[in-house]
Order: sequence, then structure tokens, then C-alpha cells
Amino acid sequence: MSTLQIEDLYRSFGSLVVTQHVNLSIGAGERHVIIGPNGAGKTSLINQIGGQLRPGSGRILLDGVNIIGQAPEQVLRSGIARTFQKNNLFFNLSVIENLRLAVQARRGNGLQCFRPARSLTAIMSRAESILAQVKLDANGSRAVRELSYGEQRQLEVGLALAGDPKVLLLDEPTSGMSPAETAGMIELVRSLPRELTVVMIEHDMHVVFSLADRITVLYYGEVLATGTPQEIQDNERVREIYLGARH
Amino acid sequence: MDIYLAQLMNGLVYGMLLFLTAAGLSLIFGLMNVVSLAHGSFFMLGAYLAFAVVRETGNYWLALLISPCLTVLVGLVVERFFMRRLYRRGHLDQVLLTFGFTFVFFDAVRSIWGSDIRKLAPPVSLEGSIALVGGMFSTYRLFLLAFGALLALILWAVMEKSRLGAMVRAGVDDSQMAAGLGANIPALFSGVFGAGVALAAIGGVVAAPVLGLYPGMDGDILIPSFIVIVIGGMGSLRGAFVGTLLVGIADAFGKAYVPALSLFLIYLLMAVFLLVRPQGLFGIKGGVAPAGMVVAARAALSATLRVKVIAALVLLALACYPLLVPDYQRTLVSEIFVFAIFAMSLDLLLGYTGLPSFGHAGFFGLGAYTVIVLGALFGLNGWTGVLIAVPLTALAAALIGFFCVRTSGITFLMLTLAFSQLLYSIAFKWRDVTGGSDGIGIPDRPNIFGWSLSEPIVMYYVTFGFCLLCYVGLRRLIASPLGHAFIGIRENESRMRAIGYSTGLYKLLSFTIGGALAGLAGGLYALFNGFVSPEVLHWSASGDILIMVMLGGAGTLLGPVLGSAIFLLMKNLVSSYNDHWMMIIGIIFIACVMFFPGGVWGILSSRIAGRKPDSPPRPGTTPAEGIASGDKAPTGAAPGASMTVDGAAR
Ligand SMILES: Nc1ncnc2c1ncn2[C@@H]1O[C@H](COP(=O)(O)OP(=O)(O)O)[C@@H](O)[C@H]1O
Ligand SMILES: [Mg+2]
Repeated sequence: MSTLQIEDLYRSFGSLVVTQHVNLSIGAGERHVIIGPNGAGKTSLINQIGGQLRPGSGRILLDGVNIIGQAPEQVLRSGIARTFQKNNLFFNLSVIENLRLAVQARRGNGLQCFRPARSLTAIMSRAESILAQVKLDANGSRAVRELSYGEQRQLEVGLALAGDPKVLLLDEPTSGMSPAETAGMIELVRSLPRELTVVMIEHDMHVVFSLADRITVLYYGEVLATGTPQEIQDNERVREIYLGARH
Repeated sequence: MDIYLAQLMNGLVYGMLLFLTAAGLSLIFGLMNVVSLAHGSFFMLGAYLAFAVVRETGNYWLALLISPCLTVLVGLVVERFFMRRLYRRGHLDQVLLTFGFTFVFFDAVRSIWGSDIRKLAPPVSLEGSIALVGGMFSTYRLFLLAFGALLALILWAVMEKSRLGAMVRAGVDDSQMAAGLGANIPALFSGVFGAGVALAAIGGVVAAPVLGLYPGMDGDILIPSFIVIVIGGMGSLRGAFVGTLLVGIADAFGKAYVPALSLFLIYLLMAVFLLVRPQGLFGIKGGVAPAGMVVAARAALSATLRVKVIAALVLLALACYPLLVPDYQRTLVSEIFVFAIFAMSLDLLLGYTGLPSFGHAGFFGLGAYTVIVLGALFGLNGWTGVLIAVPLTALAAALIGFFCVRTSGITFLMLTLAFSQLLYSIAFKWRDVTGGSDGIGIPDRPNIFGWSLSEPIVMYYVTFGFCLLCYVGLRRLIASPLGHAFIGIRENESRMRAIGYSTGLYKLLSFTIGGALAGLAGGLYALFNGFVSPEVLHWSASGDILIMVMLGGAGTLLGPVLGSAIFLLMKNLVSSYNDHWMMIIGIIFIACVMFFPGGVWGILSSRIAGRKPDSPPRPGTTPAEGIASGDKAPTGAAPGASMTVDGAAR
């Protein structure tokens, strides 16, 4: 059984259909990359999985359970964590505090009100280990707004990882990054536990082909093709419409 | 004469008057995203200026021409020199700025024309009555209807048919788009603001013969106009029109047939509409949450020794102070302690959780009334009263919060305002229990350890103790995981949800805790004052406490304490030798909103810590009160700008 299964998903904004009866099946531990031109509906798809956007119809199954209708916080608790294409962080708080907030939510300590937050050592040390994982250890006490854009992208991933997800959704994690930072991000995704399922939207073909087990091409809200990197490269329609520009 | 017809007529006339204010308010909100609390003041100003012109010239028609022109001039000054500077800041700052102006205009009108009700006679040509379909109608009221309808028609024609109207409508949807149509945005804003003021002033002039003139007529037209806009939909002219007719007629029939409930009727109408259709009947901008509401950035800075020494000295001084001063000063400072608790409780919502409540006085009043009513009617001891008041207000806050926290931004502000006005109406109408507008008192104060609270020095130490307790408790709360979650919601609610917080629950908790503490402050106020009247629940009381919080610095704990001290000292000192304390408070408050958005504490704290105040837009931060996560303090400023989520619309 696939970990994340999307069945006949449909959503429109007025007359603009952004998700046209999408079917997708993503297995456990798979690294699945979604590509497609701007406006293809990639972010909208992630928003529907994450609970930020309500689908018009269809089903989204996580381990066989339909999660449609769950609020974003319920989706996270079900085991799906996401990042945002546009940095969506606590810009005025410190980096470690960002992570601490996410860890304490996942550990169910959010409602605790009799002890100082900083005295909860288990949460603090988990936050610190994620800090190291996303390579921000030198920046823990800085305010997020003082970080470079690329560092903020790393924190985006850190916040999602703090949710201990089964499925990690990354919306263009390398956008706006320098080549060195992009290489770091590839390494970070590679280093994730193999059983973690990763769905990633990506534009950089180098990143796509160095990480993907399978690729889905979205075009005007429709799935144009799904398959291994080789199959996608060989697909005539994809070459025509999407990769065509490179010829 | 057919009684229904007469009521209908009354309703329509009142509706027309409301429309003139509401239409402008709605356009201004729609285009500029500003809720102008000063709009009622322009209505009042229009009426009084007309009164002055008529007294000089005896010519009503001349007044109808001159008064709106003068009022528009005043309005343009407000827009050009004050509001325009705040366009890039949060909406709350603009709301508060206009609130400051209501003080200034109120005081100006009261000192020029006095507090008595004045009458303005309708023009001679419109005196008398006309017989029409089954009844006699006052000529002037018929004129009002025709005049209002004509203005509505003109307004509609301008908005729908002219190029200018197209720009305004485009601007309501998206100011970028209006710029695309070639609109000069600042000029467009000024124009719409001016037009809105003109409508309000005209409304004031034509209303004067029907409603009379008195300081306070500003609030009496403003609140119903809000309700109209909420019902009709923000930024929609058609909505304002339909809304005014609904409210006008509901009000007229309510007054005639269920006088006991007439005040609630329109608030209930509003609450129901907000819940069922938050975007209003024809809403364009409906439930959108202006995310720019985020209050100042609060980061931490390590509590230096210096801070601790100063804190110890201040505490010592406060502890010795009552031994050295006469009773009236003890009383004054006791009042400050009570309001400091109240202000801190609001700051938990406003400054820490980002919930801009404009109805917090409701909980304060509920606490005060509980203690006094239980004491007066059942002879219950004041302390027992407080013990009952706190859970009762917590319950009320949980109930009201349940409805309010589902909205945000301006809608939240209006909904909390409506609920507190509902409580006000109850206090006002339920005479048997609350004493109505006369208020109600208790014969004597309770004791504590054998000392009577009627001794100012005892009262001083009791309120001081409670204030300290609240401060320490809130400080611990804010340092706890729960407190950090509140701050996270203030900073970025959508991300909080994405990392797993049921933010609705958290906001409800914050609202309930804040409400309960306000109830405690109210209960102490009852013991302090021995008397309570509906004013403590009035929306302007909620405004006062907002001022105290913003004045001192929202998002800090000492800020509100300082703010309430400044506010009450000023009110006391200034009013003892000068009647214009409202004017002065208004001006100071306007200055604070404009130039010290971090509040007095924001500036002071950076001084104490030996740093220069940070540069604009948000000076100041707090020592050890924000989230301290490391020893290097991120200093400075939150962008007032909104944080939007990529495509995160439901
Ligand atoms: N909330 C919204 N309202 C209306 N249209 C939207 C909304 N969100 C996205 N769209 C539109 O849907 C289309 C798909 O957007 P998106 O999912 O962000 O594409 P991608 O991420 O593939 O670039 C775009 O044309 C975008 O303008
Ligand atoms: Mg996208």
C-alpha cells in the first residue's frame, strides 16, 4: 500500500482549474519530485495535502486514511509536515525559538504553563539537534529576519522536520539559494532517514535528477506523466511541452 | 395616523442619517483599510458648525453649505498630516490614531459649545407637516428622506458610472490595480477620505434638527454605523444602504415595541451576521484578516544587574510611598494599580497573542458589577464577590471568545466591541439589578486581616499586592511554553497551524485568561470605588485601556503598567487645574501612536539597558519579557508589514 495516495483530486479558483482530477501514488520512503512550469498548480496541490486549501473533490489518503477536511494542525499530527515556497517563519523570533515552538507542539507541551519553556531540556535538545541537521548551529540565537534568504530556506525545512513527519512536503526548497547552499540542501535531503517519504517541488533539473526516485510532471493542473527519471526524460509529451524549451 | 407607518417613517429617517455616515466609513475602510473612529466626530463637527453658522446668519441652507466644507478641511488635515504617515504601519495604529482624535474633537466641541443639549430648528420653509398616504408627516423628515435618497443616488452614479468611481472600486479590490488604472493613490485616498467626511458632516447638519446636538453624539452615530457596515459588508455602498435601512427600521420598531430590548436588537443583529456571513451581505473585503496587525517585535535582552537594581529600588519606593503621602495620593496610586492589572490583562491578548480586542472593558465591568450587585442585593462580602467574579468573567470570556477567536483583525475588533456593548446594554437596561444609568453602590468595604479597605492605605497595599501578583504570574505565563505559543500566534498564525498548533484553542485560552484577569481588576475596582455605573463597560472605556497599553508599550508587561500610570496621573493632574484633559490626552496619544510606536516603555527600557533606542519603524524592545533564547538579543523592529502565506487560502 502506498503511503500517500491522491485520488481524483479536483480544485478550481473560479474558472481556473488548478488541480484537474489528479491521481498520484507515492510509496513509503520514496523521493518523489513534482515538476512543472509556474502556475501549473504545484503549490496548490501541496496546500491541499497540507490542509491549507480545501479540495473541491477527491481523496487524499495517508496510509489508507482520508485526511481531507483536516485542518493544517491535524494534518501535521497525522504525520505530514510541509515547508512553504515563500518563507513563512517567525521572523522576529530567534532561530532556536522557531524550532523550539515546532518541537514543543509535536511533543504536546504547548499547553504547559507552569515552567519556563527553556527549562524543558528534552525539547531544547531536540531543537538543537535539528538546528545542527539544517546546518544553522552557528545562528541559533539570531533573529530569523537577520538570516540570509538561503539560511531562512534551511530553517523552513527545519521547522517541518521538527514535526517528526512520516511524509515531508518541500515546496521549492532550493529556490533563491546560491549553488553552494543548493548543494547543501541536496545533501540534507539525501541524509534524511530512508523510511521518510519526501515529496518535493523543484525547478532545478540538477537537483531533480540527483534526488528523485520518481517524477511527476504537472501541466495546467493535470498530471502529464509520472515515472522514473529515465521514463520522464524519454516521454515524448513531456519533452514537447516541458523540456521542449531546452532543445 | 397609522402607527406602523409612523414607525416605518422613523426607521427610514434614522436609516438615512446612518447611511450618510456609514457610506463614508465603508468607502474609507474599503479603499484604505482604515476603520476611522473619528468618523462620528466629523458628524458631530458638521452639526455644531452648522449650529454656529445658523446662529450667526439665521440661514440653515447656508449652514448646509459652509459646515461640510469646513469639516472636510479638518478631515483633510487629519488625513494628510497624520494618517498618511501611518499607511505602511498596522491597521491597529491607524484605528488608535483616529481614536485619539475623537478625544480632541470631543473636548473641542464641549469647550466651545458646552455639554448641554442644543437644538437646531429646521429651516422655516420646512416647518409643519404634510398629509400623505394615511398620515401627517413632518415636512422636514420628508425632506430628509428625499435628500438622503438623492445623495445616495448621486454617490451610486459616481461610483458606478464615472472613471473616478471605477478607480475607487478598483482600489477597494486592490490598490495596485487602481494604480494600474492610472490613479494617483495618495490623491485618491485623500479624495475618498474627504468625500467620506463630507457625507458625515452633511449627515450631521441634517440630523441636528431631528436628533439634537450634544457632545457624545459622535459615538451615538459611530457605533450603529459600524453595525451597518458589518451587516452590509465592508467597502460596499449597496451593503451600507441596505444595512442602514435594516438597522434603522429594526431600531425604530424595537424602540416602539420592545423598548427593554431595543439596545440589544442591533447588536444581536450584528453578531448574528458576523457569525453567519462574516463578509456581510455584499461584502467585498469581508473576513480578510489584515495580518499587519502584528504588534511590535519583542525580542529579549539579558536582565542586567542594572535592571535588577532599578527594579528593586522601584519596588522599595512603591512600598514606602503610601507612608509619606496624604490619602488622596494613596487613592490615586491604588487606582493605578487596579488599572495596571486591567491593562496587563489586555496586553496578554493584544501584545502577546495579537488579538486586538476593543471590548475588554466588558469583562472589567462584569467583574465590577458582580461584586457590587452581590454585595448590594444579597449582602455578600466583597471578597466572596471577587471570588465569584473571577470565574464568572472567565466563563463569559470563554463564551464570547468562542465566537470572537474564529475571526481576526478588524472583524475581531468589531465583534469584541459588539459583545461589550451588549453587556453595556444589559447594565443600562436591567435597572432592578444594576440600577441602570444611575449605577449601584455598596454601603461598606470588606476587611482584610481586620483592616478595613475603606482605609486608603490598606487599599493601597492590597491593590499593590494584587498588581505584583498579576505581574509575576503573567511573566511566568509568558515565559512558559504556553506563553511562547501565544507569541508564535501573534507572529505568524498560519505557520503555527502548520507546525501543529490548534491556534483557535490557544487564542480562546488567551482570551479567557485575559478576561478573567480583567474580571479580577474589575472586582478590585468595585472594592476600591464602592460604586459602579455603566460607563465602565462602555466602548470608550475599552478604548481608554487600549490607549494605556499602547502608550506604555504593547507586548511588554511593564509597558501597560506604566501606560496606566501615565494615563491616570495625567487625567488627574490635568483635570484638577484644567478642563481640557481629554484634549491633552488625545494629543499626547496621537503623538505617541505617530512617533513612539513602541510605547514609552519601549524607549525607557532601551535606556535602562544602556542602549540607544532602535531606529524606526519600531523603537525599543523589552528586557527579559519577550522570548529569550540566547544571550545575544535580536534588537529592533518588526516590520508592520503583513506576512502572507503562499496560496494559503481556504
Ligand atoms: N488563492 C488563490 N486564488 C486564486 N488563484 C490562485 C490562488 N492560489 C493560486 N492561484 C492560481 O492558481 C494557479 C496555480 O498556482 P500555484 O499552485 O501556486 O502554481 P505553482 O506552484 O505550480 O507555480 C496560478 O495561476 C495562481 O495564480
Ligand atoms: Mg509554487
